[in-house]
Amino acid sequence: MGSIDSLYDKIKRYLTSIFGGEGSTDAITGYSSGELQMAVFVMLLASLFRIFLIPLGIVLLLGAAIMVAYFAPIIRTVELENSNDLNRVLFWVIVYFSIILAVTLWGI
Amino acid sequence: MIEISLQLLGFIAATVLVVVGIAGMLYLDNLIKKLIAFTLLSDGVNLALVSLGYVQGGIVPILEPDASIFEFPNEAALIFGPGIVLTNIVIGVSTTAILAALIVVLYRRYGSLKASKVLKGDRE
Amino acid sequence: MNEAVTNLWSVPLLIIIPILTAILVNLLYNKTKAIRAISVGASIAVLAIAVLSPYGFHWFAGHPAVNSDGTYTFTASVFSWKLSLEYYYGPLQQILIGLMSLLLLFTVLIATKSLSKNLGPYLAIIFLTYVSAAAVLMTNDFYHLWIAVELGSLLVAGLVASSGTAYAQKAALKYTFFSALAGSGLAISLGLILGLTGYVNITDAIHFLMSNDLGGMYAVLYVAFAFLTLAWVYAGGLVPVHPLKSDVYRSAFPHGTVLLQTQSKLMLVAIGIVMLRLFGSLPFATDVMLVISVLTMIFGVVMALIQTDLRWILAYLIVSHSGLVTVGLSLGTYRGIVGGIFQALNDVIYMSILLICCEMLLYFGKGSTSIKFGGGVAKKSPWLAAFAVLGAMAASGIPPFNGFQSELILLQAALEQGLPEVAAVILMVSVSTFVALFRAIYSIFLKPEPEKTSESYVGRFKMPDVVFISLVVLLSISLILGVYPQLAFSFINESALKVVLVPWVP
Repeated sequence: MGSIDSLYDKIKRYLTSIFGGEGSTDAITGYSSGELQMAVFVMLLASLFRIFLIPLGIVLLLGAAIMVAYFAPIIRTVELENSNDLNRVLFWVIVYFSIILAVTLWGI
Repeated sequence: MIEISLQLLGFIAATVLVVVGIAGMLYLDNLIKKLIAFTLLSDGVNLALVSLGYVQGGIVPILEPDASIFEFPNEAALIFGPGIVLTNIVIGVSTTAILAALIVVLYRRYGSLKASKVLKGDRE
Repeated sequence: MNEAVTNLWSVPLLIIIPILTAILVNLLYNKTKAIRAISVGASIAVLAIAVLSPYGFHWFAGHPAVNSDGTYTFTASVFSWKLSLEYYYGPLQQILIGLMSLLLLFTVLIATKSLSKNLGPYLAIIFLTYVSAAAVLMTNDFYHLWIAVELGSLLVAGLVASSGTAYAQKAALKYTFFSALAGSGLAISLGLILGLTGYVNITDAIHFLMSNDLGGMYAVLYVAFAFLTLAWVYAGGLVPVHPLKSDVYRSAFPHGTVLLQTQSKLMLVAIGIVMLRLFGSLPFATDVMLVISVLTMIFGVVMALIQTDLRWILAYLIVSHSGLVTVGLSLGTYRGIVGGIFQALNDVIYMSILLICCEMLLYFGKGSTSIKFGGGVAKKSPWLAAFAVLGAMAASGIPPFNGFQSELILLQAALEQGLPEVAAVILMVSVSTFVALFRAIYSIFLKPEPEKTSESYVGRFKMPDVVFISLVVLLSISLILGVYPQLAFSFINESALKVVLVPWVP
């Protein structure tokens, strides 16, 4: 049959095998669009480094594109890191705070 | 002999308290212990704020009738630090009360004080 | 110039009336009718005061600003020392507090309609939450700022825990634990700024920083900035704290979330403006704020996309749209600040519409907000479906509504600053909001009803008049601001100009 249809069917079958069960199609639309969004966001953020140096932006953009392709389904990791576990949030806050401190003090 | 100022000692003690508090909140599993770690943290902050207002050989920041108003600003300890600390103690007590109340409620519900059991990162 | 001191009468009333109401309704405990009368009356009173009040200052020291020769002055733009704790009520405060008072009225009306147990303490917490946000908006000193933020965070925990489910109590516990860190951070930041400048008044502190060379003490200022950022992130639920904040938004009653999200957005605006005024000239300060905002938008909207429950979707969208508010502020330009404040205003309105629709589904329709089992609500309550669809259109920035106007300004501001990447992120947030919301709205409202009726079956129900009126009012405000945004700009412009040009003026 038509190639587009069969490719779509393949992807759909693959995704349904991951998120099986009742009402799975809702989850699939959400997760796949979230995955695409995340990929684009990562590349956008990487390209933001062109503010400091344009070649750096280009290199980081290429690097981000390769990373996104390599670690393909990153949405599960994102979901896990965004979990509401108290210790995880505290850990991220402390990391974050030290980054802010480092960046601002570096600005002197 | 090395002269160590009281202010520096205060800051060192405050840092130790804050670090112990944060570490306790991060690594201790018992909710009550987490609560105690929080009080340590807030005590550390209070100590830091009090130390901030320390003046070597300073006087109490109350202007006596016979005191010189020109020497007073140089000699008096900073009043803001203790002022903030007073409020911070009140806030700390109310936070502790709310935390304790919530812990009691959750203990009645789950029969456990383990954060890993009670506060799992789950969804309803 | 040694004239009689006139403090503005309205400022203390805006704080004291809600506090007195809170005490009174708490004492009445379960007498529903009396509580309803008192709380509705008090909310109408604060709304009237917010609308009718003139602009001006309230000085806690009892005297206005002091010139260097010892005389008093009433003009804020003249160089003078305030030397006091003070509140300022200006156009920005008027529009934001006015809107919050309107939402307080609707929240109280809906709460007295849908709850009957422990109504007194619950309404007391609602009124105190209002006070905390109003105080943060009006204050021009670090002391009140700190106390109001601390008070606000404890009240959020109270409001969430009072919804009574195990999940809500856990969310409240986590949020309060974190308030220990953020509150201590804010106290240290306050202490450092006090130690550095010697002034508790923000105007005086800025004067000091502008007229003195700090030399080697700049590092202290940076540490103060970092700690203040932590408090800002915590009060508004920006990136590292967003899992806890979205828990909070989701676990409270939806009408409580209306006030919670209003409080956190207004706090974001108020603390953000203080940060811009005080640290705006430091290198990296606005960059740090911008990165936090962009990350908040991204994680909020991506997490919203993968949820399967309308309440979770709304919780994460509120977080993501907080990022939209702060991205405008952190651009630091006139247009950016106008866009950020206007976005906060619009956001509060359309999210309230959606949250009230959620409340209708859960507590009046006795149904569920899950995507998986829903369907057919449009047939049973066509008005509710219409409101939800229109609210979702406003949220995703579709033209005749207000969301479009502020997002357009934000896009222009980002492009003006030479940051097309940020503009792209703003656009994607807008589109993803549409996708996430309409996925849920289609499944719950528009899809035909499933054959077998499960427990989450939504019966036919009539919308209470109160809810209908509040939805109509909010939707009309949304439409009016969308068609005629100049109405809001006349309130916002002046404050934005002051932040950019004369940062020491409150």
